[in-house]
Amino acid sequence: MVDVLMAILVAGFTSGALYALATVGLSLVWGSMGMLNMAHAAMLTLGGYVAFTVITSLGLPIAIGFAGAILAGAVAGAILYFAIVRNLLKNDKSTFEANVMIATVGIGIALENAILLTYGGQPLKQPVSIAGTFRLGPLTLPWQNLLIIAVVVVMMVVVSLALGRTRMGRAIRATAQNRDAAQLMGVAVNRVYLQVLMLSGALAGICGVMVSSMTQLSPPLGNDPMLKAFIMCVVAGLGNLPGAVAAALGLALFESFVQYALGARWGFPSLLFVVIAVLIWRPSGLFGRAEIRRM
Amino acid sequence: MTDTKPMSRISRSARTDLAISLVLVAAAIALPFMVDSRYILGQIVLALFYATIASQWNLLFGFSGIFSLAQMAIFAFGGYATAMLCFYFGWNVWAALVPGALGAVLFSLAVGLACLRLTGVYVALLTLAIAQTMYLLIVTDTECFVMVGSVCRQFTGGAVGFARFGDLGTRALLRAQWLVGNYAIIAVLFAVTMVFTYAIVKSPIGLAFRALKDNPGYAVARGVNRFQAQLLVFGISAFFTGLAGGFYAAHFQAIGPGVLSMSQLMFIIAIVVVGGVGTFWGPLVGTVVLVLADELMRESGEFRTLGLGLIIALSVVLMPKGLVGRFGDLVHWLARRRAKLTDAKPIDSNIVQSPAPAGK
Repeated sequence: MVDVLMAILVAGFTSGALYALATVGLSLVWGSMGMLNMAHAAMLTLGGYVAFTVITSLGLPIAIGFAGAILAGAVAGAILYFAIVRNLLKNDKSTFEANVMIATVGIGIALENAILLTYGGQPLKQPVSIAGTFRLGPLTLPWQNLLIIAVVVVMMVVVSLALGRTRMGRAIRATAQNRDAAQLMGVAVNRVYLQVLMLSGALAGICGVMVSSMTQLSPPLGNDPMLKAFIMCVVAGLGNLPGAVAAALGLALFESFVQYALGARWGFPSLLFVVIAVLIWRPSGLFGRAEIRRM
Repeated sequence: MTDTKPMSRISRSARTDLAISLVLVAAAIALPFMVDSRYILGQIVLALFYATIASQWNLLFGFSGIFSLAQMAIFAFGGYATAMLCFYFGWNVWAALVPGALGAVLFSLAVGLACLRLTGVYVALLTLAIAQTMYLLIVTDTECFVMVGSVCRQFTGGAVGFARFGDLGTRALLRAQWLVGNYAIIAVLFAVTMVFTYAIVKSPIGLAFRALKDNPGYAVARGVNRFQAQLLVFGISAFFTGLAGGFYAAHFQAIGPGVLSMSQLMFIIAIVVVGGVGTFWGPLVGTVVLVLADELMRESGEFRTLGLGLIIALSVVLMPKGLVGRFGDLVHWLARRRAKLTDAKPIDSNIVQSPAPAGK
């Protein structure tokens, strides 16, 4: 019984950590620029494949693979800014929200398909993985899960330090709170947007490596964690980072319990049911600012 | 004199719309006589389905500002409901079409009750999640519901879907020319859908939908109930979407979870975006352009999806109002140029003072 409970908890915490990383990347972009990045899933996949290329094809050490994934994500974010976001910001502000979502959907499809054309559809093995388990008294923990949780915790600390302690973080937070006021105070809002997209791309890159190390590399890799990250964002209230992490962990634990109790099939539907129940009760999310979406 | 009075009440844009639709009807009637390739006619029927779904998504998103991503789910619901009524109860397809569409309306109202309290991207995310859930539940359905011969059938048809539950009866009636018959039926479906959509858009309730889209705060302050109005438009568009789903299942004599895939939804969105969001003819223009582009890209096979994604992104960036919007800009620009030219001419036409030259 304890074994089963432990297995569920380990699975729940691992996927929760992964969802949290994906959710934070999305939520950061939404919070500071009111943009829902539908290409985030493809950026996740990109990170996983770049790490694979660097480590397996070029034979470089794992650390460089990680760095490559981070870099690829950041570059993808920068390209997204220069090709799409900057142009759409010039248009009417009221249409930005929907337009950027549709445009990033297009970019996401194109990127996923480009990966499919480059690497083929067959699943590949992500080299960033550690075999073996770790014994702690009566418990056995796979090293892989511990690695993922550790990486995610480190990334969370890095992000919160970057947002809380640096000049860039202060500018991002100011833009998120009030874009116009920040601009009037001399914050280069456009540069903040670029930084946010690059940061979120880098997070997506790492997240992709971690997700693929749990399963396998395949072009639609990012879609499943992304869909869950979306609804976790919605539960937490879009743009709320600590809330997003809490929602991700809570919902992931709930999901793994449901998957154990009712079968894997019902994991996602029950998650959705909880989300809808929460939203009927609190339309702007559990921790969302009440004013944003209420009519 | 008295005869012309009601005529003058029809606005110029309405007369243009009428002229366009008359031309389209004539073209639609002429089409089967000019096209004798089965493949092309089949693709045209498929394009008519796309145009029908896209026009309803445009009614939701373009005219009412509801960013729903459950459009294909509602379409699939209509198709599945029709197919299942025929498959399990042995109904005639024609009898099952309207109940299927009403089933889709009920489904959409349930979705709407859950989602329409929210606005903007929250609606998009929740409806996307609902559509994906529906897909996952259908694909992973492995429990036997009935045995057909020695083959186990799932209640939802599983990953395979339903097939051979009946057709529109055109094969028995027209034999070799059955495709022309189906083309006529689907063309009528599209025409009826467009007429109803036009009536809704131009009606007072259509104005309420548009007001909610353009300025929700003001519309609500003027007494429009946002939740009720949006639920209403959700249900209306679901009826035609579901009906199209039923006809789709009947035309292909099959329906499977494939219609729920992300790429199908993206194709519909691309049609509306390329054609022009919030314009009446946009979905039709977008369908023609994208189906043609899709056929051209078929040559380059594997780059189709890549190209489609880039087309979506580029058209959002380059022409936010789509082709119809760009065409309107062109007409305006030409009119202004002509106004400028006549303005610059000497004053020999001073009898007709052109009303406030726009170039000023």
